[in-house]
Amino acid sequence: MTVEGLRKYFPVKKGFFKKPDWIRAVDDVTFQVFKGETLGIVGESGSGKTTLAKLILRLIDPTTGKIYFDGTDIVGVSKKELRKYRRRMGIVFQDPSASLNPRMSIEETLRRPLIVHGIKDREEVRRRVLDILQKVGLGKEHMKKYPHQLSGGQQQRVAIARAIILNPDLVVLDEPTSSLDVSIQAQILNLLVKLQHDLNLTYIFISHDLLTVRYVSDRIAVMYLGKLVEIAEADELFYNAKHPYTATLLSAAPIPNPEVRYVKRFSLVRGEPPSPINPPPGCRFHPRCPYAISRCRTKEPVLKDVGGGHYVACHRAEELDLSEYTSGLWKIITESRVS
Amino acid sequence: MTDPLLRVVDLKTYYRTSAGLVRAVDGVSFEVYKDETFCVVGESGCGKSTLALSIIRLVPYPGEIVGGKIIYRGTDLLKLPESEMRKIRGKEIAMIFQNPMNSLNPVFTIGFQIAEPPVIHFNMDGRSAWRRAVELIGKVRMPDPEVRARNYPHVLSGGMRQRSMIAMMISCEPKLLLADEPTTSVDVTVQAQLLNLLMNIKRERRMSMVLITHNFGLVAEVCNRVAVMYAGKIVELGPVREVFRNPVHPYTRGLMKCLPIGTKRKEQLYVIPGQPPNLIEPPPGCRFHPRCPHAMEKCKKEEPPLTEVEPNHYVACYLRR
Amino acid sequence: MSMDALARLREWIEPILQNKYSRVGFFIILFIVALAIGAPVIAPKHYAEVDPQNRLQPPSLQHLFGTDELGRDVFSRVVYGARIALWVGMLVVFIEAAIGVTLGVLAGYYGGKVDKVISAVTDMVWAFPPLVLALGVVTLIGPGLVNVVTAVAIVSWPTFTRIVRAKVQSLVNREFVLAARAIGESDLNIMLRYLLPNVIPTIIVIAALSIPSAILSTTALSFLGFGAQPPTPDWGAMVSNGMPQLPRAPWVSSFPGIFIVITCLGFNLLGDGLRDILDPKLKV
Ligand SMILES: Nc1ncnc2c1ncn2[C@@H]1O[C@H](COP(=O)(O)OP(=O)(O)OP(=O)(O)O)[C@@H](O)[C@H]1O
Ligand SMILES: Nc1ncnc2c1ncn2[C@@H]1O[C@H](COP(=O)(O)OP(=O)(O)O)[C@@H](O)[C@H]1O
Ligand code: SF4
Ligand code: SF4
Ligand SMILES: [Mg+2]
Ligand SMILES: [Mg+2]
Repeated sequence: MTVEGLRKYFPVKKGFFKKPDWIRAVDDVTFQVFKGETLGIVGESGSGKTTLAKLILRLIDPTTGKIYFDGTDIVGVSKKELRKYRRRMGIVFQDPSASLNPRMSIEETLRRPLIVHGIKDREEVRRRVLDILQKVGLGKEHMKKYPHQLSGGQQQRVAIARAIILNPDLVVLDEPTSSLDVSIQAQILNLLVKLQHDLNLTYIFISHDLLTVRYVSDRIAVMYLGKLVEIAEADELFYNAKHPYTATLLSAAPIPNPEVRYVKRFSLVRGEPPSPINPPPGCRFHPRCPYAISRCRTKEPVLKDVGGGHYVACHRAEELDLSEYTSGLWKIITESRVS
Repeated sequence: MTDPLLRVVDLKTYYRTSAGLVRAVDGVSFEVYKDETFCVVGESGCGKSTLALSIIRLVPYPGEIVGGKIIYRGTDLLKLPESEMRKIRGKEIAMIFQNPMNSLNPVFTIGFQIAEPPVIHFNMDGRSAWRRAVELIGKVRMPDPEVRARNYPHVLSGGMRQRSMIAMMISCEPKLLLADEPTTSVDVTVQAQLLNLLMNIKRERRMSMVLITHNFGLVAEVCNRVAVMYAGKIVELGPVREVFRNPVHPYTRGLMKCLPIGTKRKEQLYVIPGQPPNLIEPPPGCRFHPRCPHAMEKCKKEEPPLTEVEPNHYVACYLRR
Repeated sequence: MSMDALARLREWIEPILQNKYSRVGFFIILFIVALAIGAPVIAPKHYAEVDPQNRLQPPSLQHLFGTDELGRDVFSRVVYGARIALWVGMLVVFIEAAIGVTLGVLAGYYGGKVDKVISAVTDMVWAFPPLVLALGVVTLIGPGLVNVVTAVAIVSWPTFTRIVRAKVQSLVNREFVLAARAIGESDLNIMLRYLLPNVIPTIIVIAALSIPSAILSTTALSFLGFGAQPPTPDWGAMVSNGMPQLPRAPWVSSFPGIFIVITCLGFNLLGDGLRDILDPKLKV
């Protein structure tokens, strides 16, 4: 899948006669996802992650831009054609209790995708529902239940089952573990990794938890105020972050190891995330960037390849050394754990 | 160590619901010392918020503190009449909640709300209280305190609201600050700033803090001692370095092992099987036994007491003995 | 199967009985329903049986509620009248709901132009005093019980539309609806399988609360002579017929009047209770 120059602006009405302002939720985003990989997307809230996910699934219409799925641009296609592509994509949302119809049994929830896509044979539907339940680690006894009778972790398993029951190629996961407890989170992460391996799925994994993203992703893209600011192979991004915003995120992540606390921590974080209405000109990060130079205030940096498939959108990407901010996190990621 | 500032002894808080008796906090004991940051960590529903609300006696209906003592500087708060307790809240012990939007009043400016507690507790006159409020808003590092003081909560960002909340809570210089998931609803960068702010203020004003969280990262970053809660009980308690270096309780160990760190990408993670029990009918004996890989016969029948396994490190598990 | 249905029924009835108000309402309605079903057994006479010898008799053991100007037994007529009242009330509300819910779901789901048009029509109908509008409709299509029912339904569906529309709007951006679109569900299916089931509790509450006004409106029209034609034992028509004799024989009008009030009260109490149980935030 390739996304090219994707934009989504939402109007915000200020008054009856005034011209609307625009929230640039996703602004000129271009990237590729390769078959069988996981592309992680991180960013603060409001940076446009969910909007991007909805655009990719064509749940909302982009303002401009192209989305190539297997070579076809699915932005222009007819409603009927779109259904064909829907079959090959699935989505899992953050809050499992909100993403399941409270008045539909688990069995019905899982049957719907099959029926919608023309699989009517009762025996086959039943077999596939049982099969998928087993794949996501739920028993037959859950079929007749309703969402409120399941725990958060079980609900998320159902949501995952619904997303993969049609054997899609691509699954978009929008913060699938962030509303779950730590112990349940690990269960779901294991499940996702196993399913990807067994079914050869491609994932777009959205999260604001850096540790989780690193764990599941092959490559990671960082978003800031609707823009892609850095994209690189997962471990590379962690030990060799080039964009000051990426380094800011890494330096702010709480690290579950008391031995590395206070090492050059927090010092990169300044200011609050600004509003996506009328974002700052030039580099959008410049009001919060400790390395900003005059050029940053006027000229918008573009994504540039700095080698090895590592792209950065920063005027000073090549000259800055940000390793001191990221070393703490890298240390904990690579070093030993409880045995 | 010196005398504790706060001593919680065998505290029990239950909710009487139509589905049954929810034993949200069921026999919890710990101490908080002066200048200390004490963390309570655990999964959702294990009773952390109920514990904090019990300490300031604000457990909502149908909850009730059914037993135990909460000794604050020598007095048992549970024996005080409500009028006395009101003097303690805000002035001696203050609390910061998870969702600042619900705890700030939408119809008053934040300046007014920050000025309010000193008026109540010290009879401060309105004008000097307002001046102090503006000062405090600067103190929690909001830009343009004069302007911000006149803002209503809904125009502020989540981070700003939480800063206002902190300003309000420290306005009477409490000696103990209870913070229930103060950063759960904000972004990592804002979280880092808020934590930094809280820690600085705490150091400056020599406050003690009880920080409630489900995030082991936060625990490791800021606290001195940590208590791990499971199903209404403390299962492990000790100095933070000690607990992280040498977790003893199988639940603590499980939680630390299942974090996606120190692993290769996509490598199988350790999992704690099953899910937390409901607190209406918690499992008998050790409450963790249905999920514990080391469970023995004894664990199913008798409840393990919290015992010292190393100096200041307490664990409620039969395994070590 | 029947055990299952029984258990379901209990699930519904138990909370109704727990609430003080809805319990009273429930028993009132149960009483009226019993009258309606058991009318042939309970009523000593047929509702149309004329007895010229015993005109305008006051209540006695023989004629519990007395007799009217044709010597018909008022008690029997009131008992049979329960059938008409219930039938009319439910039919009106059923038609109202059919129109109102359809429009509400469409407006809430599609938004935009569809919503604008539907909302405009709704507001227009809403703006008229319902009784005046219904009167207009009846004069247009002529008198008769069925016509009155149609007229009342035609003017009072906006309540359903407004509330259902708001409810659907709040559901439409919920993730489960997005998820339904993501699996390729058609618009019709989303409305029928995802939105409608989630507004049904609300619809039940509005329906229960609308029955009293439906009964009142139809009885009012019958009172004015547009509704049920004699000898149909319509409570409204009975009140109206008794009016000339009011000073001499107050029982002819007052007993059907009392039953109108009791029935409306019953549905109101039940509806309020249902609201507390099913949809506490709802404002009708
Ligand atoms: N008002 C209430 N009525 C009934 N039960 C309650 C109430 N508040 C909490 N409980 C129950 O008490 C137990 C502990 O709840 P508590 O809110 O203290 O947990 P927590 O650890 O803070 O969880 P979370 O992280 O989800 O806030 C849970 O089982 C919960 O369902
Ligand atoms: N339907 C909408 N109407 C107006 N603004 C929206 C809408 N959906 C999202 N936005 C805005 O777009 C920005 C990006 O939102 P979102 O993609 O949800 O961010 P994230 O998932 O990173 O939290 C936010 O400023 C949000 O308020
Ligand atoms: S372009 Fe300039 S302001 Fe933007 S991140 Fe790079 S150095 Fe900072
Ligand atoms: S007491 Fe037994 S069941 Fe409980 S944690 Fe220890 S070993 Fe496991
Ligand atoms: Mg989001
Ligand atoms: Mg809580």
